[in-house]
Amino acid sequence: MTVVPARSSEWVRPVTSQQPASAIIEIDRVSQVFQTSARKGHVALSDISLTIDERAFVSILGPSGCGKSTLLYIVGGFVSPTSGTAKIKGRAITGPGPDRGPVFQEFALFPWKTVLGNVMYGPRQQGVRAAEAEAQSRTLIEMVGLKGFENFYPKELSGGMKQRVALARTLAYHPEVLLMDEPFGALDAHTRTRLQNDLLNIWERDRKTVLFVTHSVDEAVFLSDKVVMMSNSPGRIRQVIDIDLPRPRRRNELLLDPRYQKYVVDIERMFDDGDEGGPAL
Amino acid sequence: MMSPAALIRRAAPVLACIGLLALWQVASLALKNDSFPTAIEAIRAIPDILGDKESLINILASLRRMAIGFGLAVLASIPLGLLMGRSRGVAAFFNPLLMVIYPVPKAALMPIIMLWLGVGDITKTLVIFLGVSLPVIYHSFEGAKAVEEKMLWSGAAMGLSPAQRLVRIVLPAALPEILTGCRTGLVLALITMITSEMIARQSGAGNILFNALDMGQYDTVFAMIIIVGAMGICLDAIFERVRARLVRWSEPQFDIPLSFS
Repeated sequence: MTVVPARSSEWVRPVTSQQPASAIIEIDRVSQVFQTSARKGHVALSDISLTIDERAFVSILGPSGCGKSTLLYIVGGFVSPTSGTAKIKGRAITGPGPDRGPVFQEFALFPWKTVLGNVMYGPRQQGVRAAEAEAQSRTLIEMVGLKGFENFYPKELSGGMKQRVALARTLAYHPEVLLMDEPFGALDAHTRTRLQNDLLNIWERDRKTVLFVTHSVDEAVFLSDKVVMMSNSPGRIRQVIDIDLPRPRRRNELLLDPRYQKYVVDIERMFDDGDEGGPAL
Repeated sequence: MMSPAALIRRAAPVLACIGLLALWQVASLALKNDSFPTAIEAIRAIPDILGDKESLINILASLRRMAIGFGLAVLASIPLGLLMGRSRGVAAFFNPLLMVIYPVPKAALMPIIMLWLGVGDITKTLVIFLGVSLPVIYHSFEGAKAVEEKMLWSGAAMGLSPAQRLVRIVLPAALPEILTGCRTGLVLALITMITSEMIARQSGAGNILFNALDMGQYDTVFAMIIIVGAMGICLDAIFERVRARLVRWSEPQFDIPLSFS
């Protein structure tokens, strides 16, 4: 499937690449304890501090159960941290808002709405006129490669197609930050690769800030500017690694690039070593 | 052109009815009991009932009470069930109450309600209301509880308020389950309708049935049973039509989903 360039559409903002990086999300000493019983608590996140720059693609990488999704939910405002603060553009996050658009592993589409109905939902909620919302949504549906499927219901789509709809639905209300929670985790390897490629193509056009949770080292290195490595129980930040690879990235070139391979191997080795510090890169 | 399999599927309900009537006819002839008329005798009595203005007024009065009781119950039960499903506090308050009321046959409450409200329409409609409410509340509750958290989060991120999420996400997402409850409720409405008229005889289909029973007009009794049964089948078929249309999006349409990444 090819991704149709959508330069003409108004929701694509021009990118000025020489902008100084400024923080959009600030996470300050956030901890999260889940009360498992009256006495016991499970420490999901312990003392996390992290700053995410505007227009950066940041992956949070870690084994399952390290609290990486919880961190994303805190930024989304879906979960309140036990202690610490999370801010977006200097304002404390107190709940969900259209400035942060989630894309979940479970797709979470509205099954009673068609593909078009799902994508139009956000703009309509934001008060965009029906005709305008529909035109924008059709462009987005085309961009994620689902032209012709506008009137299909989610149950009629495969997993990969559902995730494309979910991405379009979130992009439709122009969030400043995309919060992606293992979005390709439920997909087969082939579909996953195609969606990674298409996501990069879409992202490289308008460079929204992306916070991307994954447990796949390849995926994190391939997509990100920065990889935040987390360690298991309690969830802590182990290391933040800048991925200094050229963009636009093309999979077939990158896989042969020794720098890419070194990032993957080094990160994997650090997870294998298991000790808190890990070897410096 | 229908395939043979489809033809058999279409004809099956008709064949089942004919089979049942034939069995009845044979059993009745074999037993030779005055209080057990043959199927043919019972069917012959149907036009007399349906041709009688008085009887028709009775049956229509029954249907009117049933429609009002069912409609009010659905209108009240869905919001309550949905709220219970999404709020632990509301559920904690209402759950024990409902658990106490659920197993009580609603018709058993009727003598008490009659003392309060008399033997008129209000009492009978209230009994139907109670009979319909519980399955609708229960299924709305279960349906709302099962709504995927992430779906609500997606709505919240788009700026939907909690009330909007309840109406615009929980309600449609739970609709298949809610309608299952309504379908059970519809059958219960018919049952409570007849029993209420058995207890407080004044008008209605149940009134005709039990009056005939008192007078030993057994062909009328069985004719009424057929009529009530037919009413049930028709109401259910109409409801099923409406239901299928409302939740088309949730029914499997293709056996194999389109495979395309």
